[in-house]
Amino acid sequence: MSDSNLPEPRPSERVGALPRAEVKSAEPDFATLLVAWLDSHRASLVDSLRRLGRQPVGSFLTCLAMAVALSLPMGLSLLLDDIARLGGSWQRAAQISLFTTLDVDDAAGERLRARIAALPEVAEAEWIGREQGLEEFQRQSGLGEALRGLPENPLPGVILVTPRQIDKAGLETLREQLADLSGVQLAQLDLLWVERLGAILALGERFVFGLTLLLVLALLLVIGNTIRLHIENRRSEIEVIKLVGGTDGYVRRPFLYMGTLYGGGAGLLAWLVLVYGLGWLNASVLSLAGLYGSDFALGGVPLEDGLSLLLGAVLLGYVGAWLAVARHLSELAPR
Amino acid sequence: MIRFEQVGKRYPNGHVGLHELSFHVRHGEFLFVTGHSGAGKSTLLRLLLAMERPTSGRLLLAGQDLSSITTAQIPFLRRQIGVVFQNHQLLFDRSVFDNVALPLKILGLGKDEIARRTLLALERVSLHDKAEQFPADLSTGQQQRVGIARAVVHQPALLLADEPTGNLDPRLAAEIMKVFEDINRLGTTVLIASHDLALIARMRHRLLTLQRGRLIADGEAA
Repeated sequence: MSDSNLPEPRPSERVGALPRAEVKSAEPDFATLLVAWLDSHRASLVDSLRRLGRQPVGSFLTCLAMAVALSLPMGLSLLLDDIARLGGSWQRAAQISLFTTLDVDDAAGERLRARIAALPEVAEAEWIGREQGLEEFQRQSGLGEALRGLPENPLPGVILVTPRQIDKAGLETLREQLADLSGVQLAQLDLLWVERLGAILALGERFVFGLTLLLVLALLLVIGNTIRLHIENRRSEIEVIKLVGGTDGYVRRPFLYMGTLYGGGAGLLAWLVLVYGLGWLNASVLSLAGLYGSDFALGGVPLEDGLSLLLGAVLLGYVGAWLAVARHLSELAPR
Repeated sequence: MIRFEQVGKRYPNGHVGLHELSFHVRHGEFLFVTGHSGAGKSTLLRLLLAMERPTSGRLLLAGQDLSSITTAQIPFLRRQIGVVFQNHQLLFDRSVFDNVALPLKILGLGKDEIARRTLLALERVSLHDKAEQFPADLSTGQQQRVGIARAVVHQPALLLADEPTGNLDPRLAAEIMKVFEDINRLGTTVLIASHDLALIARMRHRLLTLQRGRLIADGEAA
């Protein structure tokens, strides 16, 4: 029964060996292979689209769940950018208040203002005399009668200095320089609120970063689970494909297209959610800003941010599908 | 073509599928493997398809040692083997044409070549007029012939069949065997695992008889 004396098989006996005449037609050239490869990709894409189309509600809900997860960190990030923009504009309006000694009258104050305005670091300087300051204080504080009862004006003259620089170090240097001027009793630079806003924004950015990581993980799980279900539904098909010589890449391909399509759909939906969501919010922001005499408005979704969102979603869909198929491919051996 | 050299297969649970099996199959041969359930027929086919690996000995398929074949090489090995199952393993959401064309698509052939070869394979099993139908519309015998067409469409050098007539009546079984013989006449080596001894006896081809994983007879079916 053992036939170990038989010679080794000849090369012509190799598996798949065909007569020379047939080999020519059996082995496609590069151009044919390329066309067939592109054709196979097109077929996978069309097949994936068709499968998603067969379950429109399920596919839409999956995309919507992903879109919500995508739009949350993106929306928060856009809002933080808007708040930072708002903070930046306030910071640019930061002024140094120079309180003069009580003996500085309007003429001396105006000379001091001109001297300060000539400094290269200063964009603008405005003199508010003692009497003008008192009038404004009476008007704004509602303590007019009480202040009129004072024996003399207790308020010093003030020079409001608008600096050219907006960085904290530069402002502090300028404040010290101005504080040393003759006739200046106190130089005040209130940047504490800007620092607090900066700290809040930094905290917000960190929060958004953490939230993004969590939601990316959630997205990978959503896409992974969805693709796993598709794999389960096509288990017998995959087994047949592997039996007739389909490589892992061939098996993986339709699922990668499916993940990419889910990602693309979710990205587009998230973009729409953000555009309409921020637009809806903007009406309230405009009205609130108007009460403060500001024309501040939310920036919406810039095109590059929208495209980044779409690209990120597509990548997430692709990676999620790839991970899901890689995880289950070993279980898909033909039985 | 196929060389088993002291091939053994022991499963992790201790069950021995094959015991030091040795035999050689020449290119273009037609042979049956028979034996009761658990004799090792399916294990033998699974080893040839690289679905499992031998735990001892050497298994050569056209000079390639399947004991040491890498995972990446397996698809390319299978592209050169045709396989027919008792339960057909057809894809019921695809047409007969698409089922048969599947191995050619995997091979990356052009559309025209795929159409030509697929229709040729369907003609070989007398189903060229059923190309656009779905497997569910066909009889069991016709489904089996679709499975055969899919197994031979890429002109494999080796055709394996696991109980291909198990679900068929004797007339259909004889028809299917005729198809296998026709394919064999074109130069394809055919190895059929079957326990239908009456059918095997009528065919008068080489017969390997397995019992509890051992080869107990190797000769022409009588």
